[in-house]
Amino acid sequence: MYAYDDYDHALVNARVAEFRDQVNRRLSGELTEEEFRPLRLMNGVYLQLHAYMLRVAVPYGTLSADQLRKLAHIARKYDKGYGHFTTRQNIQFNWPKLVDVPDILDELADVEMHAIQTSGNCIRNVTTDQFAGAAADEVADPRPYAELIRQWSTFHPEFTFLPRKFKIAITGAGADRAAVKWHDIGLVLKKNDAGEIGFAVIVGGGMGRTPVIGKTIRDFLPEADLLSYLEAILRVYNEQGRRDNKYKARIKILVDALGAEEYARLTEEEWQAIRHHPVDVPAEEVARIHAFFKAPPLPVLSDDVPTVDAFAEKNFLFAAWLKNNVSAHKVPGHVNITISLKPHGGIPGDASHSQMDLVAALADRYSQGEVRVSHEQNLILPHVAKKDLPAIWADLDEAGLGTANAGLLTDVIACPGLDYCALANARSIPLAQSISARFDDIKRLMDIGPLKIKISGCINSCGHHHAGHIGILGVDRKGEESYQLLLGGSGAEDASKAAILGPGFDEAGIVDAVEKVVAVYLGEREDGEEFLSTYRRLGPDIFKEAVYGTH
Amino acid sequence: MVLINLTGITTEAWTHLEDDMMPGADTRVAAPLARLTEEAEGFFAAVEAVGAVVSTDADYRSLAPLANKLSFVVIDFPAFGDGRGFSLAVRLRKDLGFTGEIRATGPVIPDQAIHLMRSGFDTVEVEDKREAAFKAALKRYSVFYQSDYTGRTALTHARHAVQERRPEQQRKAS
Repeated sequence: MYAYDDYDHALVNARVAEFRDQVNRRLSGELTEEEFRPLRLMNGVYLQLHAYMLRVAVPYGTLSADQLRKLAHIARKYDKGYGHFTTRQNIQFNWPKLVDVPDILDELADVEMHAIQTSGNCIRNVTTDQFAGAAADEVADPRPYAELIRQWSTFHPEFTFLPRKFKIAITGAGADRAAVKWHDIGLVLKKNDAGEIGFAVIVGGGMGRTPVIGKTIRDFLPEADLLSYLEAILRVYNEQGRRDNKYKARIKILVDALGAEEYARLTEEEWQAIRHHPVDVPAEEVARIHAFFKAPPLPVLSDDVPTVDAFAEKNFLFAAWLKNNVSAHKVPGHVNITISLKPHGGIPGDASHSQMDLVAALADRYSQGEVRVSHEQNLILPHVAKKDLPAIWADLDEAGLGTANAGLLTDVIACPGLDYCALANARSIPLAQSISARFDDIKRLMDIGPLKIKISGCINSCGHHHAGHIGILGVDRKGEESYQLLLGGSGAEDASKAAILGPGFDEAGIVDAVEKVVAVYLGEREDGEEFLSTYRRLGPDIFKEAVYGTH
Repeated sequence: MVLINLTGITTEAWTHLEDDMMPGADTRVAAPLARLTEEAEGFFAAVEAVGAVVSTDADYRSLAPLANKLSFVVIDFPAFGDGRGFSLAVRLRKDLGFTGEIRATGPVIPDQAIHLMRSGFDTVEVEDKREAAFKAALKRYSVFYQSDYTGRTALTHARHAVQERRPEQQRKAS
């Protein structure tokens, strides 16, 4: 993991001192709420429906056990005992007191964390594959590049007041677990024919009112040119992006207006002018950062572990967990574990302070002290020896963290919705709870297979409904919460936009509708065919007929 | 209004010419870019120092023909969130090689003081009540992750050039 040097500490500490001063000026009345708003927003402090909310950055979803323990401590001391992991691999605290926020930031700074640029019209936390550095299918580890981007984008003098927020995602594997095509900039690490590392660069993806899948503007960008190329993309956007209408201010609208080819040309022209200037960092710095992400010293072990097989044979839930929540590691005999934060009937992405403490302890004992946050709102133990799985599962299961549903229908992404969010039109969390309660049967879920449900409580799409195999969008219909059903989206390498199936439903109705859609799939699927493939093969009509009874 | 000097540049007062006012006896004047382009003779021949006033939406290329004749450029922010002004200053420095004073006007906020300086601005006009906050903000940060147009070197370079230095020693008087 990256470790701060004195400079990194100095920057974060300066930020905390600055915010403490701003909070004091607000509390004394020197600043009005209107004046304070842009200041707090630059530190991840939102005013929600009931309280302030603090969004803490988890850079590219990587946490040390100590950092996670600190988050548990903050949840315990300053909040109501829990935190909420988000689709941007961050964590939100829903109930801090404004007067406490500077102290919280101080405590975070102690473990090299912060809330910088977790809101505002700036470059947000860079997200990546939750299995980065540990996945068997990886071309290169994206984390060193994510850290380079983190530093370059932090307090960028030119790009802190962009037309709108700006999200960058990077993946190092062919299987896209970071939804890069749905980001303002998506980067895909690859090797060219000469074996050199570089990036495919995708721009203009995004959700919201106008969902757009990003377009590739460069097939291969050499790794040394990353920052100057990003700077060129951002400069064009900062200068030409629309500022007259916040719903048309994201880069996707500009890329669409100019055309991807023209955007590529403008970027290329600016990049050639600034390439090799000091914006690109020296090779020694790249090497320094890479050194923090060296692969941990894991011994090569056998993938055959009879004790694990024997335990699985007599314990169905463990066997299911092994199949669904455990994936291949680079090093033989090791695995990645997805700890589901989607207990059936629970709140997606929430973790209590004691659960966080437990995961931190497990990370120390079994996973090189490392934890990850996935954009699907789960936690990951990235470097686990296969032989330790029964013991880990037993501990997780006892704490309500053993649900064997990773990647299955109840592994729902949901935004905070109308329970917390001032923008929401409808509640997301109770709906996710109703769905997981309705499908509370691991055997049934495994029979249904991989199926991603994503729920947003409003058109801003924080719950990624556009990218859901089944997407659900909460809308306000004459003062009533109503839910639209969308089918056929994907956030993976085969990215696609989900399409609205028909008229909306109330809460009970939408759960019934999901069940009907699943029933059509089960009846129509061919051997081994997953839900999304069946939908793509059949199209929407058969689903529409089942849900709405139209002819 | 108070003038905050971000870079220590030597600056003198000028007269801001509204509408169709002509320089008269003034030796230092500022006028909208369009007038300077259309009535260039009336300004550059008649006055010692001419500055262009542009809004953040100006295309930097429209300043190119005048860049070497202008003594200063005023970039007027219609709103603090209009970040085009930062890129415009960068363009003036980087692409037009402009070395004269660049001034920010409009409702910019203290938290932007360092960003303004680092993007190439020399001065900023602020409301009296914000003077203290602006000056405090300028002192807040001493190290930066990016190289910028003040000639500062990014941390990413500095780390390898002078590893023995400590952040507090890197602070530049502002």
